[in-house]
Amino acid sequence: MSALKSLLLAELRILMRDRMALFLTLLFPLVFILVFGFLMGDIGDVSRSTMGVFISTDLDREELEAAVAAAGTMEIVPFGSLAEIKEAVAAREIDFGLVWDGKQLDVFYDAARVQENFAFQQVATGITTDFNLRRQGVEAALSVDVIDIGATSSANWFSLVLPGILAFSVLSAGLSAISGHVTAMKERKILDRLIVTPMRPVLLLVAVAGVRLGIVFVSTLITLFVGILLFGLRYEISWLRYTVFIVCGTAGAMGLGTTIALLVRRPSSASNIAHALSMLMLFLAGIYFPVEFMPGFLRALSVAMPLTHMANALRYAVGVVEMSEAEFWAISASFLGIALVLFPVLARYVIRPLRH
Amino acid sequence: MTGILRIALAHVATAIRERVTLFWFLIFPAFVLVLLALIFGNLGEEGEISFELGLINRDTVSAGPIDFAEIVEETFRSLAEPGEGSAEPLFTLHQPNDDTDVEAFLDSELTALRRGRRAAVVVIQAGFGNAVFGSYGQASSDSAKLSVYMTTSNVASQMATEIIEQVLAGVDREILTRGGRYDAAQAIEPETVWLGTTGEETPYVDFVLPGIILMGFFVNGLFGVPGAILFNRDRKVLRRYWVTPLSVPRFLAGFSIGHLALCGLQFVLLYLLGRYALGASVSFASPSAFLLLLLAAVTFLAFGFLIASLARTTQGGMAAANILNMPMMFLSGLFFPIAGLPFFLRLIVYANPLSYLAQGLRASLGIETSVFTPTQILGVPLAWIALSVVIASIRLRWDVER
Repeated sequence: MSALKSLLLAELRILMRDRMALFLTLLFPLVFILVFGFLMGDIGDVSRSTMGVFISTDLDREELEAAVAAAGTMEIVPFGSLAEIKEAVAAREIDFGLVWDGKQLDVFYDAARVQENFAFQQVATGITTDFNLRRQGVEAALSVDVIDIGATSSANWFSLVLPGILAFSVLSAGLSAISGHVTAMKERKILDRLIVTPMRPVLLLVAVAGVRLGIVFVSTLITLFVGILLFGLRYEISWLRYTVFIVCGTAGAMGLGTTIALLVRRPSSASNIAHALSMLMLFLAGIYFPVEFMPGFLRALSVAMPLTHMANALRYAVGVVEMSEAEFWAISASFLGIALVLFPVLARYVIRPLRH
Repeated sequence: MTGILRIALAHVATAIRERVTLFWFLIFPAFVLVLLALIFGNLGEEGEISFELGLINRDTVSAGPIDFAEIVEETFRSLAEPGEGSAEPLFTLHQPNDDTDVEAFLDSELTALRRGRRAAVVVIQAGFGNAVFGSYGQASSDSAKLSVYMTTSNVASQMATEIIEQVLAGVDREILTRGGRYDAAQAIEPETVWLGTTGEETPYVDFVLPGIILMGFFVNGLFGVPGAILFNRDRKVLRRYWVTPLSVPRFLAGFSIGHLALCGLQFVLLYLLGRYALGASVSFASPSAFLLLLLAAVTFLAFGFLIASLARTTQGGMAAANILNMPMMFLSGLFFPIAGLPFFLRLIVYANPLSYLAQGLRASLGIETSVFTPTQILGVPLAWIALSVVIASIRLRWDVER
């Protein structure tokens, strides 16, 4: 027990001195959410967009104005000429512009806003449909009632991105914690010295894992609270599920990281492989883009990514998506299982001197 | 001259031999390019996007001569059939069987929606056909007979709902037309006008390819330059150079030529990928595009030296590069729109040389109209080069402290 205590204290000191590791674990997720929070907070939401309108005739003016007014909460800016509206779109003072001359309804878009134009076009199509009905004096025969049944009705896409980023930081820290650290110990020949003591190899892994686990937990909490305070995100966090998953997820990722440690010799290679793997998964796991936007084969690949399941489990733990209890516990148990199986098996192969 | 070229060659050879460098230098930018092109290149197009949709018809008794509920149901069924060339259908429908308890099925579909396994659930309510037939185009406030369940927190659900609303608007016009209340021939079709140099919508891959090339240059300079300089210094490799007749300026010249050669190689490979695998049509064959690419490569080379001069160790240099990487890359408009950012983040955008290089390069390629003036596009990166050179010449140590 005292050996474990000593190892834990030593690991804690090492981590506190390793500014790079501390930064990557504690502050990296914060940088992520600060940048992406503002960039992605409005993704898919056109209610904050601005549409310019220029109507050069009184013909059907009221109908068009009514259709525009009924389109939603976006800002409408009236313009006095076609040239002004074109200039405003080109200068990005408005997002798109609508021009009606009594015969033709033109919609002006900035050709370079390739990621946003789809949403603007949807709005313009809705306005045109409504305008056509109003022009002919009829109301829609079908009335569509859209009902939001989301777990948090005020949530936007970023409220799902944040737990995804937390899952990414758990995976990333877990993957590089043991692989990078143990290979660094090998390279500095610290491991050679430890091996000749009565220390059991698995105890060293437990000490490394324990300290990193604590740091990851603190890091996710800081990130979560900054997200809540800065971006007004609302979560209904189940602390039991949250804690269980952070522990199981980090341990599982560390187990996977142990495999990397087994395969490489240099600590920089281990960290780089861990970083590269987690970055590839970041793009494929539906963290930034919904999986539904991806082609079929990438959707299938996404299911095979551990990060996909980690993100879903954390989203469930903070109450933004629903999941069956069985599924949540199965995901948590799977990651814990990976740790329990890989740690003891790999400890004897990883915790040994560098091959000369 | 031979010494300079040998240093350049050694830099290129080392970068290519290092598998990890190769990953960040080529594989990662290529992966991001392919992924973004696959996701955003055909966003919203049929055959490229697919939603899991629950559809429940509670209106099984038709009162009039036309079964309106069946029309709605059939419309969604047709959208769930594979497109041309076995393209993925827009919707994958989940409907109850004849012997299924409809209420229990609805419950399970709503649960699936909450759990992210459905993008939306459409319910044709009981009495839908009667209501449509009775009013025939005179919908009252209480005639909401079609319900679309969705979740606002899921972008896919939002998009699916918008598409469903358009589908239902089409059905609505069809019903009104059949009832003689709506004349489709009188309908106004909106004319889409693309404002830009070509007068056409910019293909996504054309938009993103210059951004990915700049990202590659940026990552190459940010990580590759301080990585190579600091690693070689800390491992005392540079010390071995200094006992030869090679001077620091000649080493610098060789290293810079090697770095520019790597950027050139990176450009060629990414361009070929974009052009031949992803169908990019953008042409970089203009003096202004070449000048901006060269400016970008030199800017990030200088930036790399700036980081190397500010860091004491390789680890510190990599930490600094990591701190700067994400904010600089994403707060530049390379991938995401930056129009709605708060003031303090816009300061980063305005100080970021990538913002100017991205807009300048895209403007020179005729992809977008730059909001920056040519003076700003050239001036800000040049100012960064000057600042980096001054600081690096003062602070950069070429050997480990004894």
